[in-house]
Amino acid sequence: MTAGAVEHYLAQHRKIAGALPGRGLGWLQERRRAGLARLKEVGFPTQRDEDWKYTSTRPLTAKPFRDVGAPAAADETLAKKIRALSPEGLRSRQLVFIDGLFAPQLSDAGADTKGGATLMPLARVLEERPESVEHAFGALAPRKPHGFTALNCAGARDGAVVLLEKDAAPEEPLELLFVTSAEDAFAQPRNLILAAPGCKASVIERHVSLGEHASFTNSASEILLGESANVDYHLVQTQRDSARHVCGIWARQERGSRLRCISATLGGAFVRNDLGVELAGEDAHCDMLGFYAATGAQHVDNHTAVLHSAPHCGSREVYKGVLDGRARAVFHGRITVAPGAQKTAAEQSNQNLLLSRHAEIDCKPQLEIYADDVRCSHGATAGQLDEAALFYLRSRGIGEARARELLTFAFVNEVAGEIQIAALKGALESLLARRLAR
Amino acid sequence: MNFDDHQTAGQDAPSAAKTTASERDLAALVQREYKEGFVTDIDADTLPPGLDEGVIRAISERKEEPEFMLKWRLDAYQKWLKMPQPKWAHVQHPPIDYQAISYYSAPKQKELLDSLDQVDPKLLETYEKLGIPLDEQKALAGVKVAVDAVFDSVSVATTFKKTLSEAGVLFCSFSEAVREHPELVQRHLGSVVPAGDNFYAALNSAVFSDGSFVYIPRGVRCPMELSTYFRINAMNTGQFERTLIVAEEDSHVSYLEGCTAPMRDENQLHAAVVELVAMKGAQIKYSTVQNWYPGDENGRGGIYNFVTKRGACRGERAKISWTQVETGSAITWKYPSVLLEGDNSVGEFYSVALTNNCQQADTGTKMVHIGKNTGSTIISKGISAGRGQNAYRGLVKVLAGADGARNYSQCDSLLMGDRCGAHTFPYMEIKNPTAVVEHEATTSRIGEDQLFYCRQRGLSEEDAVSMIVNGFCKEVFKELPMEFAVEAQKLLGISLEGSVG
Repeated sequence: MTAGAVEHYLAQHRKIAGALPGRGLGWLQERRRAGLARLKEVGFPTQRDEDWKYTSTRPLTAKPFRDVGAPAAADETLAKKIRALSPEGLRSRQLVFIDGLFAPQLSDAGADTKGGATLMPLARVLEERPESVEHAFGALAPRKPHGFTALNCAGARDGAVVLLEKDAAPEEPLELLFVTSAEDAFAQPRNLILAAPGCKASVIERHVSLGEHASFTNSASEILLGESANVDYHLVQTQRDSARHVCGIWARQERGSRLRCISATLGGAFVRNDLGVELAGEDAHCDMLGFYAATGAQHVDNHTAVLHSAPHCGSREVYKGVLDGRARAVFHGRITVAPGAQKTAAEQSNQNLLLSRHAEIDCKPQLEIYADDVRCSHGATAGQLDEAALFYLRSRGIGEARARELLTFAFVNEVAGEIQIAALKGALESLLARRLAR
Repeated sequence: MNFDDHQTAGQDAPSAAKTTASERDLAALVQREYKEGFVTDIDADTLPPGLDEGVIRAISERKEEPEFMLKWRLDAYQKWLKMPQPKWAHVQHPPIDYQAISYYSAPKQKELLDSLDQVDPKLLETYEKLGIPLDEQKALAGVKVAVDAVFDSVSVATTFKKTLSEAGVLFCSFSEAVREHPELVQRHLGSVVPAGDNFYAALNSAVFSDGSFVYIPRGVRCPMELSTYFRINAMNTGQFERTLIVAEEDSHVSYLEGCTAPMRDENQLHAAVVELVAMKGAQIKYSTVQNWYPGDENGRGGIYNFVTKRGACRGERAKISWTQVETGSAITWKYPSVLLEGDNSVGEFYSVALTNNCQQADTGTKMVHIGKNTGSTIISKGISAGRGQNAYRGLVKVLAGADGARNYSQCDSLLMGDRCGAHTFPYMEIKNPTAVVEHEATTSRIGEDQLFYCRQRGLSEEDAVSMIVNGFCKEVFKELPMEFAVEAQKLLGISLEGSVG
């Protein structure tokens, strides 16, 4: 099955290979060739792969998604439609991509650099200043990636590059907006966030869809945090329930840096998020937060891994989810403490509410510890609402349905509430409430 | 960074150069002799190494088995031939040459035994040395435990047969059960662990030579603890025993299992299968103290303990409880599991696994909730010292029909030394919204505040560590039958001696 799909995407790749940016760069072509070779070697994952045990890639391979090329002329109606999908009151600097390609008319015009932050499409960076990304492109993603990541490495046509200068502190959040629009569109953005020492910034990676068309986004982002850099990264998935998304985010943190990655999965028919963080310098800390509310036949797979390779680092991971209808969620969380990473403090928790007889949760937390002076813990639960809390609300005159809704919302909102950007938080909370109410 | 390679991280970590006083103590104490490591010089009837259909026929013939057994073995062998050796466990070992193992070794005996007087005195002596009283007189003076002793491939003696048969309990070697009660064996053999269940279970099904058989009739409470003592003696042999316990409606049995082997430089394979069948209202308590030879401090020799243990709660209110203390073996690979088929049935798993020196353990449990209101409890305590690698791997599965299922799992790991590893790989698969499943895991080392507290009360560091470790394991030890609990505490103390640091 996957052999046919691999063949299809290789053919897609051949079509666009001549149009890839930065073809004159030896190092880039070398990394693309390696990605292609890897894909040919391993193909797309199947449920026989331990990392895909509970997730079938059929929704991705059963339909021939294709590269749809440049978007239709970006007129005012399109701009309006896209604005309508944005959180109300959110003021951000935006780069917009439609079906994987940069849409300059829709993106924020003016200087690329403001407040020490440069926001540019990858294709332009590769033409104008490739040296600024050479050290990071493909360096943080796994060395032996699964087929989708390999395909992205080989054939990403564009993506967003965020360059944060030393001690930069841009006021507005930097937003990377990915829109799927055409029927059966296949988009492969590749993003790089390079945070120089001492900077502080908020980044939003948001995926939305225009219309009901099925689409497949295969995205990959790499985040490099220099000494004492501080980045809040938001991954927001609010696509329609016909969209498929394989998303990879890999980060490396130097000494004293701090990363908060918040992932919200409230849309998409099939969503697989790979999140990998390496704490490479002492005193680095990361928060990995996530919430998901799935219903219908949605499939949400969060696959996270944190590697403590330096001593005195901390990591905190909290994922919460609600499942209704025939939805299925998968949570995989691995904490690895490398030899010598003493004084590590790592905690992880995954909690799930099952609302329907046909929903399913598969959960796989893991600890791999090779140092002794550590404190690591994980917890995972699956269950229902607290009957006592429900009774309390009902005794105060709140109807059962409403009481359940309130408690379910509060359960997930524990994570959503940690979002620092008020407009984004408000928008996601009301979207969450709407999803839970229906 | 590389997220693919960490599985093997730490295998060759550079060790810290500092040597503290306690580490020197450790070096001195880990060289403690494995006191069960002697060899008994006894004539044995051993098949030459190698495995093919002929060997299986020879084993079956030597055991005078009925036709159905031979067929069952040959079927299992065919399945085994088609299976790859599993690689998913968090353990590393050189490939095993299955043709270099002898699949049958029996101490030479003249005739069928009627009483213990006819057992070769050398064998009795062996068990004496191990502290296992096969002599009923002596046993009576102390605790009343019926023992089935398995030496290499065959059962050499079963004590207290008469007392047990008065209660209607059948407790005998597997071979005897095949001869005397073939209908019972045929009905239950492979009903919980099918012949082709997994690689090692299939191998065991093809070549198993002996083991214990227990049958508790309806409504009977077994008058004493039953126990099997396994001993590997011969060189280049594998031990493949099979235990089958059937508890009919509303019966009750507590079963103990202990194991040792001589010290040898080669690795020896032990691939056992244990099947438990608990009918409506029956209770089976299965306790193991596993102390196979763990290899020397450099990881040379030792037993590969690849065991399949599974119980089925067939009727409502049935209960199966596994308790294990795993201190031996170079590699332990075992997952005592419970299939909770009957409504309101209960499964429990209590485990202490200790790895020191170069030992590796990948152990845990599977709880499969099928019936309504089924409950399971998992308490796992892993202790890693030296260069030991200890992994908990478990599955809690709640099927769609298992309304009101409840599971609580707790896995704690204790690390002693900076070259060992502790890992947890729990799996949860929940398909029912009324299920409540909780899993908690922690990993840490002995708290310096705890140690300090004990030291300032005048305890030596060694005693303090031993006390804290025993406290860490208490939840599991309290599940063991009394005399086993004492033994287990001692064993843990010995296995850990000097690992402070």
